[in-house]
Amino acid sequence: MMDVGRHPRIKLFVYSEVEDVSGYVGNFKVKVRKKARYVDENECNACAECAKICPVVVPDEFQMGFSSRKAIYIQLPQAVPSAYVLDMNACLGNNPIACGKCVEVCDKKCIDYDMQDQFIDLEVGAIIVASGMDVYDPTELDEFGYTRFDNVITSMEFERLICAGGPTTGHFIRLSDRETPKTIGFVQCVGSRSERRGNRYCSNICCMNTIKDTVLLKDHYPDIEVKVFYMDLRAFGKGFEDLLRRSRSEGVKYIRGIPGEIYEDSKTKNLILDVENTTTGEVEKHELDMLVLSVGVIPRQDGDLIQKLLTLSRTVDGFFMESHPKLKPVDAPTRGVFFAGCSESPKDVKDSVTQASASASRAGILLSSDRIKVEAITSVIDKDKCTSCGICYQACPFKAIVVDRKAKIPAEVIEAACAGCGTCGAECPFGAVTMKHFTDEQIFPQIDAILEENPQDKIVVFACNWCSYQGGDNAGMSRLQYPATGRIIRTMCSGRVDEQFILYAFSKGAPIVLVSGCHFADCHYIDANRWTQKRVEKLWDKLERKGIRPERLQLEWISAAEGQKFAKVMREIEEMRQKVTPEEIEHTKKVLSDWKPKGAKRRPKKAEVKIEA
Amino acid sequence: MAEEANFKCLRCGQEFKLPYDPKAGPQERTCPKCRSNSVRRIKEQKK
Repeated sequence: MMDVGRHPRIKLFVYSEVEDVSGYVGNFKVKVRKKARYVDENECNACAECAKICPVVVPDEFQMGFSSRKAIYIQLPQAVPSAYVLDMNACLGNNPIACGKCVEVCDKKCIDYDMQDQFIDLEVGAIIVASGMDVYDPTELDEFGYTRFDNVITSMEFERLICAGGPTTGHFIRLSDRETPKTIGFVQCVGSRSERRGNRYCSNICCMNTIKDTVLLKDHYPDIEVKVFYMDLRAFGKGFEDLLRRSRSEGVKYIRGIPGEIYEDSKTKNLILDVENTTTGEVEKHELDMLVLSVGVIPRQDGDLIQKLLTLSRTVDGFFMESHPKLKPVDAPTRGVFFAGCSESPKDVKDSVTQASASASRAGILLSSDRIKVEAITSVIDKDKCTSCGICYQACPFKAIVVDRKAKIPAEVIEAACAGCGTCGAECPFGAVTMKHFTDEQIFPQIDAILEENPQDKIVVFACNWCSYQGGDNAGMSRLQYPATGRIIRTMCSGRVDEQFILYAFSKGAPIVLVSGCHFADCHYIDANRWTQKRVEKLWDKLERKGIRPERLQLEWISAAEGQKFAKVMREIEEMRQKVTPEEIEHTKKVLSDWKPKGAKRRPKKAEVKIEA
Repeated sequence: MAEEANFKCLRCGQEFKLPYDPKAGPQERTCPKCRSNSVRRIKEQKK
């Protein structure tokens, strides 16, 4: 961190928050709020005279509340810059009559009660999100007695107690009597891998953190008895298994079972654990001086704000989702934004540094060129047809469309920011948006071709490029059997599937139409498939009003790994197809005979479609 | 507690209740019987 602070080409904004982000790759505009610290960081030489005289004492957040700090303080010993900050919520001196002692004692005159927040506008080409993570609060898991029993602490609190820079200068004590414990237990997976409470995912770092802690304890206190209660030990990284062996060889006992209940001996404040040892199948009792809950990690609480500012998407676990898990693991779906560390998923220091290096390289590649190449699958707006209604702006997950509704200035696509999902094209009611590739002129002839002969025997399937189409591919590669009546039309995103494609297919005699896309949490275009669902729901109503069974329009979310599901869905829909009668198809064709494409968008006649070699 | 609404699976015909918040955006819904995503909310008839 010191190196970062000193680097001539790195500008560090500490005690600051990003207020707003606009623009797009290569041209981001970022507004930063530099919070008032009430101490001139350039003048302060951290002499600590102000803190010595400050009469206000509050719990020290960095030391997890185990020690105290003053109202004027340095957040942590290695803080960069090494300058004090005034906690105005705790300070008495906002009104100088009340206190003002720190101002009097500061020789450098660097304390200023009237300091205001500053807003700084930056222009940047790329953004790396390294917003970190929060730690699970185990208070809700009442059976572990956290906050009820003095000697139950979390792994984060353990770190402070064993740290040489901690409140006890590294002398490990238990909180009830300040004695060094003779027996200590660690409970793994607290708040992780649980369907009922906490989180479903594995927090990745807790097993190795505990193993490291046990080795540390044995180094400091060789006679201490250490027990680890676990479900599985996940020591899968380089050198991790060796560390586990070392821990075991030093006498640490690993017991496969999580305590069901913990009691406290009211006299000794010792803890009694009931544990089912799943290796022996017996219920055991363990008496410990101290218990450490190995808590999992959770996404940051302000993740919603960051997501909104940078138009990111998040997984069901709440961590930010990468553009592609294999091919673009550090890129965000928004071009020019990258991830580093636990904002993307729980990871250890090594993985965080690896990802940060990769992100820095990706950003470096981007910034080293004057121009960037983007895929040509972007949308184009016909300004003559555009009414500046703003629907495309609302639908665009990447905010790649600008429109001035009041001034009636037609919408415009920022091609560098457009990812080509096609949702704007599908949503535009005036046919003003056309796509480069996956055009209407390409999709309508595919529908025509599918339904040219024996349409009653075909199922028209719209599949998104990233998930459903790959799911079909997976089914084929896995040699899974499914009916051959399905005919797939690939689009980049299910958001591209225009209502008129579906109605046109029905008007041409399609018995069933299936729209399929990524699961909500997997959408490669942030939330474009939510628009698909909204559209399909509206169409179900529309079909019903026209006397067409809504069941004939099917919707399915299929991931690239779900070949089995793809095959199953195709089998089920084939059964449905066989129940669609010729009379029903004829009725649909009749009902939709007066159907016309929306707005001024014109469906090309077959003769007009030219295929160039 | 979240409100519930009636839904119908357009694959198997099963009717069931699921949490529903009209203010919330679209949700990925699955039929409890056949696991299909073709799940349609049954709107109450206006009196």
